Amino acid sequence: MKTSESEYRVEMTGISKSFGVVSVLENVNLKVKPGEIHALLGENGAGKSTLVKILSGVHQKDSGKITLNGQEINPKNTHEGQVLGISVVYQELSLVNDLSVAENIYLHKLGASKFWMNWKKITEDAQELIDSLGFEIDAAARVRDLSIVQKQVVEIAKALSEDTKVLVLDEPTTVFDPTDIKKLFDNLFKLKAKGISIIYISHHLDEIFKIADSVTVLRDGVDTGSMAVADTDADGVIRLMIGRELKDLYPPRNVQVGEVPVFEVKNLTAKDTLVHDVSFSVRPGEILGIAGLGGSGRTETAKLIFGAHKKKSGTMLLNGKEIKTNTPVCAVGHQIGFVSEDRKEEGVFLPLSIRRNISVTNFTGISGKLGFINTDNEYKNVVGLIDKLSIKAPSSEIDVKNLSGGNQQKVALAKWLSVDSKVIFIDEPTRGVDVGAKVEIYNLINEVAEKGVGVVVISSDMPEIMGISDRILVMYKGTIYGELPKDKFSEENILRYSIGKQLK
Amino acid sequence: MALTIKQQFSSPGGILKFLIKHNTIFIFIVLVIFSALISDVFFTSVNLSNLLKQVSGIGIISIGMLIVILTGGIDLSVGSMVALLAVTFAILVNTVILPLAIILTIIIGFSLGSVAGYLVAFQKMAPFIATLALMTIARGLGFIYSKGSPITFKTPGGEFMSNFANNSTLGIPNIAIVFFLIVIGAMVMLRYNVFGRLVIAIGSNEEASRLSGIKVNKYKFLVYAISGALAATAAIIVASRTNLGSPNMGMAWELDAIAAVVIGGASLNGGKGTAINTLMGVLILGLIGNILNLLNVPSYPQQVVKGGIIIFAVLLQKFESK
Ligand SMILES: Nc1ncnc2c1ncn2[C@@H]1O[C@H](COP(=O)(O)OP(=O)(O)OP(=O)(O)O)[C@@H](O)[C@H]1O
Ligand SMILES: [Mg+2]
Repeated sequence: MKTSESEYRVEMTGISKSFGVVSVLENVNLKVKPGEIHALLGENGAGKSTLVKILSGVHQKDSGKITLNGQEINPKNTHEGQVLGISVVYQELSLVNDLSVAENIYLHKLGASKFWMNWKKITEDAQELIDSLGFEIDAAARVRDLSIVQKQVVEIAKALSEDTKVLVLDEPTTVFDPTDIKKLFDNLFKLKAKGISIIYISHHLDEIFKIADSVTVLRDGVDTGSMAVADTDADGVIRLMIGRELKDLYPPRNVQVGEVPVFEVKNLTAKDTLVHDVSFSVRPGEILGIAGLGGSGRTETAKLIFGAHKKKSGTMLLNGKEIKTNTPVCAVGHQIGFVSEDRKEEGVFLPLSIRRNISVTNFTGISGKLGFINTDNEYKNVVGLIDKLSIKAPSSEIDVKNLSGGNQQKVALAKWLSVDSKVIFIDEPTRGVDVGAKVEIYNLINEVAEKGVGVVVISSDMPEIMGISDRILVMYKGTIYGELPKDKFSEENILRYSIGKQLK
Repeated sequence: MALTIKQQFSSPGGILKFLIKHNTIFIFIVLVIFSALISDVFFTSVNLSNLLKQVSGIGIISIGMLIVILTGGIDLSVGSMVALLAVTFAILVNTVILPLAIILTIIIGFSLGSVAGYLVAFQKMAPFIATLALMTIARGLGFIYSKGSPITFKTPGGEFMSNFANNSTLGIPNIAIVFFLIVIGAMVMLRYNVFGRLVIAIGSNEEASRLSGIKVNKYKFLVYAISGALAATAAIIVASRTNLGSPNMGMAWELDAIAAVVIGGASLNGGKGTAINTLMGVLILGLIGNILNLLNVPSYPQQVVKGGIIIFAVLLQKFESK
């Protein structure tokens, strides 16, 4: 077969794919040139991840044609994809927790190499690679001990090897703060300059306009065409994605925020993490934002309060009464809720159905004294939430592992939003959620606040945290460094506090 | 349920998919038909009730095993527990009144199971190790208390139990009725009770369970205790059948129980499995033994066939998850 002089590095034409009877992709085209950053956009469940998984060999297409440098390819597994030079950073982390960072980075090469490994060299190489990316991670550390941001960096490092021709990033920045994102973009520009083709999936449209050259939008498994980024704008892309205009991303709220705090922490210090001397309060109906860079201790603070980490000192008051939360069970007993940022490991039960996932936090409404479940009530509750959050699934009995990433996130949220809480901590509420569904989630958070719950939202997404919070706390090096009232909200102010500086 | 079955049949390749999905029941039916064709003794009531009597003991501990496996654990101690508790029951029957003997045996079983539960849930010991240790301890204690020889029932209470265990009601052996009631109980608890939901949740993602405010340790503790109590029930049954308690009882039963649970489609990683399928697993294992006996196949080839069936059943399940 002759290598044609196609101007494209990758050409996917007429790709169709269905899982069982559910058709996920229909006749989709995607073309990427060398040295191009090509954005792939679409709502949750539109088929973005499935499309790139077909490219890399995780799934096999039902019909259509894929060419790489003009040569037809049909990767049957990820190994074949890798050999062809297709590297993917998947949406869900896929690291081996018990191996070191270095071992994970070179895992896919271990099989191919000689019998004995030079671990020292591998660790050095990995360290060099991570350093060159501009991140600080010890290559000898065990992956289990890393933060989710660091895990994501390792995931990216793993995808980079000398022979990468096509790099696919499936929502790589969902856990990144602005400085991490900038570092990632610098790296992507370097790769682009080397002629590598990059396919970039994200729900953060601002990112697309910063880095991408062209975009393809998928809607319900059909591509609505490709275009140069220069020829469109955010509204145009959103219209293609959801088929309508989006009025307010941040819905207006008219909540009566209470005067007396519902929940207060004073001088909370952790035993095993960097969190120390954290003091704040949240009032009923208030949405309190916690911003900060990755590693500043936001998640750790929430976990500390929730009893998932051990405390050293400090007090907590719920409605003015001192409480202790040594375990999550105690915290839940005091009606404190916590939605984890790490949905795969800590948020959802992948092998279980949507119904079982949602019910697990709350049996009070649906079961009697002896613990027998009233399935009618259960269905009513679950179906209501699926509807409300527009979770895209054929039924409530589908296993969560078969949902798209954004829809899994909605399940993780739904689990807690049906519970009667007094305070709820939501860590990265819209991680991987598309623009349309974001609005649904914000509406739901508002609804929860309206019931008089104190809502604490942790988010790395600047526009989001400014858009939904009444007040923002900024963490730096394990403690609360600054507080911003609504009239002081700005990216600059948040960033200044995040890096330990005073406001101008 | 009815709807989904209908859908499966109407889609292309539906029947095949249905069979793969319900492969345990399918294997069971095939075995029954096969047995009936191959031997004319098989469908006699004597043979069938023998079959049921043979599987009841292992069946009961298999249910305990299932509940433990659902949490992602394993209980290797059940076989030895049956021995120790059978001896215990024989001693108690000869010393106290019957109801008390039964209750005490079950309480002791529950307590011994609690030891495993405590080690696993609160001392974070690996289930394999904790129950392996208890397995040898229980077997050893069985020999110590019985002084190495079987203890025969000598009281009217013992006689009553022996009659109960060897008789039938409405054609079904009494001990099989006990077993079926336990299966139904487990089915109801796993399907319609919060207990089952949480046990399955813990097995499918322990960390997410903890962060959902589930009392993970409590449930991990409980499943071993329940497994112990079920081992006690099995012990009472097998001792009563033979009118004695012997430290040699329940030899390697833990392996048969694990096999039954796995043939029933449960995942050793936890989070997947049902009581009804475990019942099928138990019956399949029992059937294989039964039919091979009817065909006068010696016991060593029987073991080979058994192993083959386990592999076949698990291979079928691989198709299901595709
Ligand atoms: N293994 C699978 N079995 C059955 N259905 C699946 C499977 N994987 C994905 N799907 C379905 O395919 C559809 C597309 O999923 P995909 O993950 O490609 O969406 P996505 O565009 O990446 O969404 P998101 O933005 O939420 O990540 C979804 O409806 C999903 O439920
Ligand atoms: Mg996706």
